[in-house]
Amino acid sequence: MAKKTTQATPKAAENEQQSATAQKPHILPDRVWLVLARRAYEEPLRQVGTVEADDIELARVYARSIYDEFAWVEMALVPRETLVTVIEA
Amino acid sequence: MQNVTQTPAVKTAIAQLIARLADNKYYLGRYFAEWCSGAPTLESAVASAAMAQDELGHARALYPLLRSLQPEAGAENEPETRTVFSNVSYLDQSFAAWEDFIAANVLIDGALTTVFAAALASSYEPLAGRARKVLQEERTHAMHGDGWVRRLAREGGAVHAAIERALQRDWDETLCWFGQDDDETLASAGVLDAPPSELRARFLAAVAPTIEAAHLAIPIRHAGDGWELTAPLPWDRWDAIRYRLNAADKQGK
Repeated sequence: MAKKTTQATPKAAENEQQSATAQKPHILPDRVWLVLARRAYEEPLRQVGTVEADDIELARVYARSIYDEFAWVEMALVPRETLVTVIEA
Repeated sequence: MQNVTQTPAVKTAIAQLIARLADNKYYLGRYFAEWCSGAPTLESAVASAAMAQDELGHARALYPLLRSLQPEAGAENEPETRTVFSNVSYLDQSFAAWEDFIAANVLIDGALTTVFAAALASSYEPLAGRARKVLQEERTHAMHGDGWVRRLAREGGAVHAAIERALQRDWDETLCWFGQDDDETLASAGVLDAPPSELRARFLAAVAPTIEAAHLAIPIRHAGDGWELTAPLPWDRWDAIRYRLNAADKQGK
């Protein structure tokens, strides 16, 4: 029996191209910042999430806007790239 | 802080000031909110929502002052029934693109903040009290606008050109918005701590460093310790009643 071959349809090729375009960033690559915060002075700073921004001022704005769920007594940002691996996951 | 008794002329000037502060914040809030689901990044979408909430809250805190300042205006004092607004002309319609959002964030939002900073020790105590709260929240708005101007300008090419065009389009009207140099009614009455010329200088000091660092073609230059405009403002097109440039003369907008 002849092997049945399948050719990509124009629609499938279009979908693949759109997917590639969607993955391509339209603005400069962002930096990831770890957001650390604490609700009481007796607590240590803990990571509550991350934000993406290539500008420290925008990272500050985003961290305050997004992680606004508690009355934090302290919030800080750390560029993820500055982390030093001790035990690799 | 004691409320200084105002003459009818001063009371009218205060009412007009409150109206244009509230109207511009009202429309800023509405248009910021429209970008909650359309901003370029998830983070900026959340920031848009937060900024919209701040602006609408500021407007809601200002409108009630009109009831005591101009009770004869009746329904015109309420945002829901108001028919004549004193917003700048570039807030007559939604932001067509992200650079328009950022231009308004930097320009009219920055201009409003300059005025509120001049009202911290206002002789009109209700405005002084609101100024303190507004300025606390506007710090992040300024950081957002500055950060995005730098980011868009750094992209170069068409993106750099787009933010430059948006700022150029809204620049003259924003600078005129502080009022003409010879109108010192509010400063003389202690409602604001500076006349229009000084407010303009403070605004330039706040926005010019970012604009210059981003290499955007805006008509400003260093002058001593401050900044100065390199092109005259179009005062012949200025509507001093509605505090905006006449729309018919704004070509190519």
